[in-house]
Amino acid sequence: MLEMVVSTLTQGLIYAFIAYGVYITYSILDFPDLTTDGSFPLGAAVTAVLLSKGCDPYLTLAAALLAGALAGFFTGFIHVKLHIRDLLAGIITMTALFSINLQIGGSNLIIPRTTDTIFSAAPTMAVFGGLSLLYRKLIVVCLLALIFKILLDLYFSTKSGLLLRAAGDNANLVTALAQDKGRVKILGLVISNSLIALAGAIVCHEQRSFSATMGTGQVVFGLASVIIGISLFRKLSFVRGTTAVIIGSILYKACISAALSLGLPANLLKLVTAVLFLLVLVFSGRRGEEIIRA
Amino acid sequence: MKKLNFKKLGCFALALSMGLSLSACTKAESKPYVIGISQYGEHASLDNCREGFLLGLEEAGLKEGEDFTVIYQNAAFDDNIAIQIGQSFSAENVDLMCAIATPSATACYAAAEDKDIPVIFTAITDPEAAHLDSGNVTGTSDKLPVEAQLDLIRKMQPEAKTIGIIYTTSEPNSVSAIAEYEEKAEAYGFTIETLGVSAQSEVTQAADTLISRGVDCLSNLTDNNVVGVLASILEKTGEAGIPVYGSEVEQVKIGCAAAAGIDYIKLGKQTGAMAAKVLKDEATCKEIPFETISEYGVYVNREACGTLGMEIPEDIAAVAIES
Repeated sequence: MLEMVVSTLTQGLIYAFIAYGVYITYSILDFPDLTTDGSFPLGAAVTAVLLSKGCDPYLTLAAALLAGALAGFFTGFIHVKLHIRDLLAGIITMTALFSINLQIGGSNLIIPRTTDTIFSAAPTMAVFGGLSLLYRKLIVVCLLALIFKILLDLYFSTKSGLLLRAAGDNANLVTALAQDKGRVKILGLVISNSLIALAGAIVCHEQRSFSATMGTGQVVFGLASVIIGISLFRKLSFVRGTTAVIIGSILYKACISAALSLGLPANLLKLVTAVLFLLVLVFSGRRGEEIIRA
Repeated sequence: MKKLNFKKLGCFALALSMGLSLSACTKAESKPYVIGISQYGEHASLDNCREGFLLGLEEAGLKEGEDFTVIYQNAAFDDNIAIQIGQSFSAENVDLMCAIATPSATACYAAAEDKDIPVIFTAITDPEAAHLDSGNVTGTSDKLPVEAQLDLIRKMQPEAKTIGIIYTTSEPNSVSAIAEYEEKAEAYGFTIETLGVSAQSEVTQAADTLISRGVDCLSNLTDNNVVGVLASILEKTGEAGIPVYGSEVEQVKIGCAAAAGIDYIKLGKQTGAMAAKVLKDEATCKEIPFETISEYGVYVNREACGTLGMEIPEDIAAVAIES
């Protein structure tokens, strides 16, 4: 049963990249970005094609980051320069990406077991070769999630990062600082979507497959993880946002695992998941207050 | 402060693992094989696959409850849930995974990689393209009998010229079936008018478009999005007075005029028989190549044909199963 926990943690940590991305747009920039449902499979499509062409597995991650950045740039550009409303800008990019993803990867693309992924390539094996694949996946994903968490935390305390945070809280402040708030928004969307595409890339490595429908519902997932994470720790100001959303993501996946292992009729899965979320939120709210009172 | 987070996480993981291991203890002494069935969603054909699979195991002499137990999970058409289902099977150390439809099969196969648990799939059109043709995996393909369908349509409508087909561009099964239709239609004197959609909400609009382009009939694939709203397509084609041909018996029951298609129960049985061989150690997945069903059934719906004023040719009536 430890394995169940390990694979749930692995899933939670992979999808934490979506939570990072949504945290930047929804929570920091106050921008409801629907590009996610397109940029996530975009990362996977690019990765799947590159892997099947024999590209170095680690390089595919960089390619996915770049592809996601382009998607985010496009949403930001049409929002800021062409004055398309935020929600619509995301919808336009997401819709376009559906076709683009089909063009890149087809409806579904599978990587054979003989192809090396980031979990089985020589450098990974040199360091973690002694571990079984299950644990290797956890370690690699955990390292990636931590590296990007630290990078993000460092970035948020740079001048550019502070401007990003200001753009969501008080856009006038950015203008008052003689900075272009449009450019800040675009930058935020670029970072967010490159992280989301990276999530898609890692899923592609882990699952050895890309499917055009894999993006459906990722915005909802991202929002749920961010909201669960943030509300769980809202009374604990020392917990960083990035940490909170990682835990939100893990909890979301744990809820689904729990719902699956309860063995209820399959059609009730989503209902059970919804009830578990509700319990997490209610429980966390109460406990938060208790901590304050004590 | 970071320590605190890990502590919390640790507690949570511990609690989860303790809870789960408790539930595992109760069934520790049971000997029967454990089969994990991962089905992509609830859907008449996919349900029939599962039902047939269990029948196939029974026919091979394995009794549910005595010789094997089943963990059945369904992903509600969500790829991400299919991933978690595969991993939960791997964590439960099932003896065999049965995956119904492509996304579930790829997820199970990925989850089984570590432990090399055998995976038996069904309802996949092109296992070769899905790289599920080598390794500890085998199963059955539900490739459509396209030529038989073209032949059937030609007999039912000797004058017809164009066949309209609606399909979802992101469904691999549909994409490969369309390619086959386009390749073979000419030999039967048809041209194919296709319309790709990306979501179920676009299907009825697509039906309107095809009808207005003057197609002589519509032919269905096993496309989940299209089959899901078949009733409303039939309403529109009924008004326009053109027949719709299905791809399996369930569609004919709903009101398609006729179909040359697969019997998914039969397909499931064939799959179950393969699983039984693997469980009994008579053969490994590597030794059993994937199978494509060679027989197909011809189904007609006399009532639907009557409403459209179509006659059923004698040679078809003789072999067809009426529904």
